[in-house]
Amino acid sequence: MEEAENVNAKSSQDGASTPAGSASGITGAADARQAAAGSAETAPAETGRAVTGAAPTAPATDTRNTGPGRLLIAVYAVFAISATARAGYQILTKFSEAPLAYLLSAFAAAVYVVATVSLAKPGRTAFKVSVAAVLVELVGVLVVGALSVFDSVNFPHETVWSLFGRGYGFIPLLLPVLGLIWLYRRRPAPRQH
Amino acid sequence: MDAYFYIILVVGLLSSIICAAAGILKKAPNDTTMLSVAAVELALLVYLVGSIVRVASGERIAGESWEFWGYLATALILPIGAVYWSILERTRWSNFVLAAVGVTALVMAARMNQIWY
Repeated sequence: MEEAENVNAKSSQDGASTPAGSASGITGAADARQAAAGSAETAPAETGRAVTGAAPTAPATDTRNTGPGRLLIAVYAVFAISATARAGYQILTKFSEAPLAYLLSAFAAAVYVVATVSLAKPGRTAFKVSVAAVLVELVGVLVVGALSVFDSVNFPHETVWSLFGRGYGFIPLLLPVLGLIWLYRRRPAPRQH
Repeated sequence: MDAYFYIILVVGLLSSIICAAAGILKKAPNDTTMLSVAAVELALLVYLVGSIVRVASGERIAGESWEFWGYLATALILPIGAVYWSILERTRWSNFVLAAVGVTALVMAARMNQIWY
């Protein structure tokens, strides 16, 4: 929660210098910041302050794309790109050599893409999708990692998850654990009845 | 490993250290961290221009050439994406995002060297 306060403090300072690109609003806070900066110039200062004060609290409770989550999403994005490129390359050039391993590569790539997108989105549905994707990722890296160690005859071909992600500095093993911790810390509040 | 790799190794490591240190010191992305990432981009552009010149002058890439260019193109997009992502929310965590660029670029440059030779 320390991070969330930090964000709000920073965004009110930096609102004016934020480039126009952020108006596309990956976060609700970015929109609010933009609006606050705009109204502070044209309207009395109270209006601007009211907007900044009210807006960030609403989306901040159900987003995961803030603070350390941004680093997590960035690393997931890099893995989504590299896994997709690798799977695409394997399937296009040498699919017949090891169809199972390369389909597994493609599956891993899809999981990383879903995790990246759902982590970046606010809301309850995105949260559930994130949890599912990260859990699948954890099971995948453990199962594929174990199979590649104990049954190396049938799993000789490299995927992102082979040998628990050793080819990628074991980051594939670390990532779902950090992801689950982050998702738990930023879980949506219980539904109000 | 050629000179291009060693340039990216030095620049990438320096950039990652600077950005991670700024993050640990709880600083938001500033000119120093942004410029260090820009230096990584510049080093990658030098690699791009150098590679185009080498291919144009008749040198052959040992591995799959489109794999090499794919890596290079992705590496070139990385710093731009990271800077964009980090200025959307300027907190200390964005410096860790920037820190990831140098290390990633260096790993990719190592792979590009393997493909080339």
